[in-house]
This record gives sequence, C-alpha cells and structure tokens, in this order.
Amino acid sequence: MLNSLIQQLNNSGLPLNSFAQLSFYFIAGLTCLFAFLVVASRNVFHSAVFLALTLLSVSGIYLLLDAQFLAVVQIIIYVGAIMILFVFCIMLTSRISDKAIRQVNQQVLFSLTLALIFLAIFYILIIKSPWLSSGAEIEPLSLKELGRSLFSKYVLPFEVISLVLLAVMVGAIAIGKARKE
Amino acid sequence: MVKFLDIIFNTGIGVALLGFISASAMFLIWWERKVSAWIQNRFGPMRVGWHGLLQPIADAVKLLLKENISPASADKLVWWLAPFFAVVPAVMAFICMPFDKNLIARDLNTGVLFMIAITSICVFGIFMAGWGSNNKYSLLSAMRAVAQIISYEIPLTLSVLTVLMFANSLSMQDIVRAQSKYWFIVYPNLTIAFIIYIISATAEVNRAPFDISEAESELVAGFHTEYSGMKFAMFFIGEYTNFFIISAIAATLFLGGWQGPFLPPVVWFLLKTYAIVFLLMWVRWTFPRVRVDQLMAFAWKVLTPIAFVNLLIAGLFLIKTR
Repeated sequence: MLNSLIQQLNNSGLPLNSFAQLSFYFIAGLTCLFAFLVVASRNVFHSAVFLALTLLSVSGIYLLLDAQFLAVVQIIIYVGAIMILFVFCIMLTSRISDKAIRQVNQQVLFSLTLALIFLAIFYILIIKSPWLSSGAEIEPLSLKELGRSLFSKYVLPFEVISLVLLAVMVGAIAIGKARKE
Repeated sequence: MVKFLDIIFNTGIGVALLGFISASAMFLIWWERKVSAWIQNRFGPMRVGWHGLLQPIADAVKLLLKENISPASADKLVWWLAPFFAVVPAVMAFICMPFDKNLIARDLNTGVLFMIAITSICVFGIFMAGWGSNNKYSLLSAMRAVAQIISYEIPLTLSVLTVLMFANSLSMQDIVRAQSKYWFIVYPNLTIAFIIYIISATAEVNRAPFDISEAESELVAGFHTEYSGMKFAMFFIGEYTNFFIISAIAATLFLGGWQGPFLPPVVWFLLKTYAIVFLLMWVRWTFPRVRVDQLMAFAWKVLTPIAFVNLLIAGLFLIKTR
C-alpha cells in the first residue's frame, strides 16, 4: 500500500524538484528574516545572535546548491571564528548592550537613500549577469581541484590575502601594546 | 532529483539517529556515574533497574516534569535560544557518522570538516547561556569556555589535518577505507596526532582536567547555573552527545572506524568509540583540574607548536614515500 502511495505521489502533477524548491524558499525566507532582525534589534547581543543565524542559513543555501565545501567553510570561519570574535568584543566592551545607551540615531533619510542605492546596484548586477539557466546537473567541485587551483592558478591572490591578514594581526597587536604604556 | 521515497527514507534515518543519540546520551550518563563510583570506591546508582541502568530514564522524567524557572533579569530571547544551540549542532554532526560500510546518513565529501564545523557552533550556545543568564558566574564561565574552546580548536584541527594528509580524503568513509591494512595510529606521526587530538578534544567538550568553565568550587555550576528542568537536560544531552562525537571521530580517524575481524562492523565501531569514552572518563575522575593560565599556556605554547611540527614532518614523510 505504501509503495503504491509513493508511486502515486511520484507520478502526481507535482514537479519532482518542488521539495528542493520548497526548502530553498524556506531557507531563503529565514535568511531574510534573520538579516532583517540583525538591523532591527536594539540590543547589540541580539544582533550578533541573529547575524550568526543569518550566516548559518546562508550556509544552508550553499548546501542546497551542492557547494558543500563552501557551506562548511562558511560555518567554520563566520560562525565559528568571526561571530565568536564579535561576541567577545561585545562582552569586553563594558555595558555596550545596556538599555541606558542609545543604539539608534536620527540619520534615517541618509541611510535609506544609501540602502536604496545599494539595492539598485545589486538589482542591475543580478539582471545583467549571465546566469546558467540550463537544467543540466553540475558536478560538485572536487576538493582536489579546489586545492590545486588555489596553489597554482590563484596562488598570487591567495598569498596576498594571507599577507594582508598577517599585517592586520601585527597591526592589532601593535595598537594593543601602544595603549598599554 | 528528489523522490518522495527519499524524503520518507531520510525522515526515517533522522528519527533513528535521534533515538540512538538520546539512548547513547542516557547510557553515557549512567556509565559516567558508574565509572566515577568505581574509581571512588562507591556503588553509584543501584536502585532503578539492574545496577541502576534505568536511573537516567528516571532522571529524564523528573527533569521533564520540573517547573520551568527563568530568572527575572535574564535576557529572555538569548536565554531561551541557548539550549537549542547546545543540542542541535551535536545532532547534526551525526549526518557524517560512519557506523558501518553503508550505515551513514550522508557520506559528504567534506565529512570531517563538516563535523568539526558543526560541533564548533556549540560554543555559541554556551556563550548565549552565560550572557542570557545575566549572572556573573555564568558570564565568567562562558568567557572561560569560549577562550578555551577556540584555543584548543587549533591543535585539534591541526591533528585532524595530519590524518587527512595520510588518508588523502576528507570523507569519513574514505578515511576508514584507507585504514584497511593498518590503523592510522601505528604511524609515529599519527600517534602524536592522536595524543594531541585526545587532549584537545577533552578540552573542547569541557571535561576535567579542563573543566574550568564549570569549576564548581569557583563558579557554582558555570554557564548552566540558572537553568533547570528540560533546558538543563538539553545542555546535559548536548554535552554527552558531543562527548560521543569526539570519541567516535577519534575511533574513525585513528583506530580504523568500523574495520575489524570477526565481529560485525557496527559492533567494532561502537567498541572502539566506547573504549575512548572510557579512557576519557578515567582521565576525568583521576586528574585534578588545571588552572586557567596553565590551560591557555598549554594550548598555545605546547600543543600548537607540536602539532605544527608534527604536520610538517608528516608532510615530508609523505613526500618521501610517495
């Protein structure tokens, strides 16, 4: 009986990918909701929590697109490292999330214009970019390929980024030391 | 292509995994109490069931029926969300748990990285619990926990990286298959990596001798001081599930996973995992707690350099032999 039911569901008018689509809309909706809450919440710590949730939902979208490595790296770097750093900063900055401190300002008009300009730019970018529209399945990127291209074709940007990061770290330590004296 | 059969099948897998996780957490809690009792020359739980085997179920029922108390000055949203952050990532890590040749929910080609990534979210739960409780002991504990966990994540990842270089893959099943001849622990580099992994994994799950975030004599009960009832149970289950996960990763990466003669593979996997679980319990009830500064110094000045040198030597060894 179960078999026939499944057969019927499979043959019914529903497109087979509707489940994937449904989960995409669900995760995308969650991402938007959390992203909105990041800017809408008045408590800095709440913003940080919602930002972590936003980043997690984005990694869910990556997983749906079969970009496993990107999803995992997103979690390790953004949620595991950067968010923890943010939260640590909030914790070490005394009373930053106190109710007494004003956390919004009056620059509504200015920020609205800026946001609209960004929206326009993104809209143009999305419309203009040549999307892959064929239904062909795309092979998931193999890690070997990724590693090889990182260390051959893209070795210069890779090294430059690590140098920049090193400079940032040294700079942060220098600033921290200077304050102490 | 998603078929409805797949959806039903995957739901079944999820339910089975949830059942296994709760049963395993309960068993581990009972076993921990028994091991601590044996080490301290006591009996431990004896009344409910055979040698107290049903004690965790009685405890769970008690926790379920308890009143839900939330502190008046707590940050309600963060306080409510924290237990979920403690449990859900731990459950998600079971997606890549290789119980058998075919008994794995999804053999992701980034398996090990996925497990490390997803379990690292649990830190956020601890942090939220400490912050949301609005209690100085909880906050101190959360800060200690996070500093400790992000420090020990580095040697842990480096030791896992050494294994990945030998296995030439990130998928859990490939790593197990690469050990069909010898377990990885027999290579000298990987023996060192195993020791580093075990030490940093103990610190990752906040167990003694690295349990400064729940040091009872200093911090009452640490980040879960204010939690009671089912929320406390969530933290407890999350803790023991993470404990099982790190032991299972150690068994998979270093001890050959489900491979072994005579017995069925699932039994081998569980035997190896529970052997490491027992080792860590033994450590917990034998060694005294370390100090905060000792803990951080050990991670940054001892474990991380050794792990780096070990990785370098492993790389040179592999270049020479291949």
